Amino acid sequence: MPLLHTIPEKTMTRYKHPGLLLLFLLTAWTAQAQPRLKVVATLPDLEYIAAYVGGDHVEAFSIATGYQNPHFVDPKPSYIVRLSRADMFITVGLDLETGWVPPLLNSARNDKILKGGPGYVDASINIPLLEVPASVSREQGDIHIYGNPHYWLDPRNGRIIAQNIYDALVRLQPESQADFAENLRRFNAELDAKIAGWAVKMAPYQGTKIIAYHNQWPYFDQHFGIEIVGFMEPKPGLPPTPSQLAKVIGIMKQQGIKVIIIAPYFKADAAELVARRVDGRVVTLASSVGAFKEVKTYFDLFDYNVNALIEAFQATAP
Amino acid sequence: MNVLLRKGGLGLGLGLLFLIRAAAAQVPDSAAVADSLLIQDLARELGQVTPSPPPAPAATTTRASPTLNPNISVVSDFRAWYTSEGERKVDGQLQEAETAIQSFVDPYARADIFISAGNAGDGEFEFELEEAYLTTLSLPHQLQLKAGKFRSNLGKINRTHPHALPFIDVPAVYVNYFGEEGLNDQGVSLSWLLPNTRFFQDLTVEVTRGPGEGPGFVVAGDNRLLYLAHLKNFWDLTENATLELGFSGAAGPNVDDRTLWLGGVDLTYKWKPLRFNAYHSFTLQAESFFARNTLAGGGHVATWGGYVMGRYQLARRWFLVGRYDHSDRPDNPDWDEQVASLTLGWFATEFQKVELGLRSASAQGEDRNYQVLLRAVFVIGAHGAHEY
Repeated sequence: MPLLHTIPEKTMTRYKHPGLLLLFLLTAWTAQAQPRLKVVATLPDLEYIAAYVGGDHVEAFSIATGYQNPHFVDPKPSYIVRLSRADMFITVGLDLETGWVPPLLNSARNDKILKGGPGYVDASINIPLLEVPASVSREQGDIHIYGNPHYWLDPRNGRIIAQNIYDALVRLQPESQADFAENLRRFNAELDAKIAGWAVKMAPYQGTKIIAYHNQWPYFDQHFGIEIVGFMEPKPGLPPTPSQLAKVIGIMKQQGIKVIIIAPYFKADAAELVARRVDGRVVTLASSVGAFKEVKTYFDLFDYNVNALIEAFQATAP
Repeated sequence: MNVLLRKGGLGLGLGLLFLIRAAAAQVPDSAAVADSLLIQDLARELGQVTPSPPPAPAATTTRASPTLNPNISVVSDFRAWYTSEGERKVDGQLQEAETAIQSFVDPYARADIFISAGNAGDGEFEFELEEAYLTTLSLPHQLQLKAGKFRSNLGKINRTHPHALPFIDVPAVYVNYFGEEGLNDQGVSLSWLLPNTRFFQDLTVEVTRGPGEGPGFVVAGDNRLLYLAHLKNFWDLTENATLELGFSGAAGPNVDDRTLWLGGVDLTYKWKPLRFNAYHSFTLQAESFFARNTLAGGGHVATWGGYVMGRYQLARRWFLVGRYDHSDRPDNPDWDEQVASLTLGWFATEFQKVELGLRSASAQGEDRNYQVLLRAVFVIGAHGAHEY
């Protein structure tokens, strides 16, 4: 854009030859219309960070919404259209999207975004992983062979995700590196300030025990200092059974636990049932950006969750 | 889990419990660790931004050990039934055990191989190469080429393996026109993703040699081949609903060594809420094929067949499917086969399901035959997702 605006009028008149003028204008036009990188992310959290770091140079899209179960997304052909045109593809990785990303990528006919291509970004690179199993068997339910993949719920991992995305952006559009670096710096600064703020807010609740519906919060509870001591699901991916609920009620009564956390895409009836028995509370936390109207950014995600938890802790305090 | 399994199993008159065990040893990969350290160093130098992985005591960046073995999975399909006709009214058999071997070949292609041990009757099993094909990954102009033996891209369900169908009995039109196993042939398939930014459009053209046997198409004695085209259109109606409209056309040698012309249309509406996607969903699907067949004497017959199916997810694990078929035969416009079928499916997990089906069929105005079908399907190994 600026290039066209800065052409002095004298310069214009100097190009007497119409062909030359045309050529000049064409060059100016192509320079200003530097295409925006088309980024397709699997989750809105990755989309948000990519849009932040990429700034004006990218056009970001997320396949899953924030209120959708990221394990079970339908590989609709319309996503293939997006992927076939994408310059960059960002995945959470660690087999979180194993049920739906491979069929989409295999049909996208775009080798730029296949594993090993310049546009393929595995956001989990360098993430310190939790719950990496020593052995795996489906007897254990839906387990993740590479470790728990819900790592974006630790805000410190936001920095690593941003770095991975930054690296790919620089690889694809080195001429905009200064902009990306500046955006990354701003993102990290904003995140650090927020992390400090959340730590202060959560300080009084360190070590508070809670129950979760599904095992998707290990990074969250590790960072915020709360302790998840049980799950509503008997094994990951299996719906709650009466015997499991009885077990959870026992744990909650015995240890004075009052709060059950659940993601927006699970029905809360079983959790509500348990909460009524122990005079506790079910808190629906945002599992991703966009989970609720007010969760528009990666920072909102933790703002919302920290506030919702504190509110529940206060309401159920003895 | 066990309580529910027992309850659901007993409800169906079943005592089936499959234990799936697959243990894989994990070896910490020092090369991956070294790589990630190198990447960190390079990132630091390249970006002038210091990545600061937070210290976390319980965490590890070690990944599971990589392997160059292909993905291997096995699907087993066991059936039992009662039928109102014939001498042996109650029976059961292992329909098939299908092994899938799938992998990338190199950066340019992937390979899919399906070997089936199918029931050949009398307790004997026959190995059959069901599919084996190469698919390109990086052809220009949004093209994708497939070569080998594969299920033809015809209609909506021809490419779906029987164990993944939402009903136990294959629709009559498929059986009558393409055989129990659907149209499955050897040749090449070229698919083109149309440059349409408003909705998904894919045009597939296939040239195959003609199947060895079949009620419709068969391999010719001369140079004639089987030509097929399919246009798939797909729209997102809302966040929760999609519509697919497909057109198929095929022409090839028939059993009389003349030509069978076939046209088809398929329509699928799916509703599934994005937010609570595990609990309720609905699919309405209809397909129809129209055929013009030249017979041995040179005369023509025009025939058709089709079905309508509704599938409703009653609860997280329960599905109810109703289907109605009408079908002629490619050589007989008066066959008039009519089938009504109802299937109740119970999914333990995405790796195991049990289905109970009721089926009533008649052809040429004869008495109805009633069937009660029971099917148990499980899959072990790295079985990938099915196409949407």
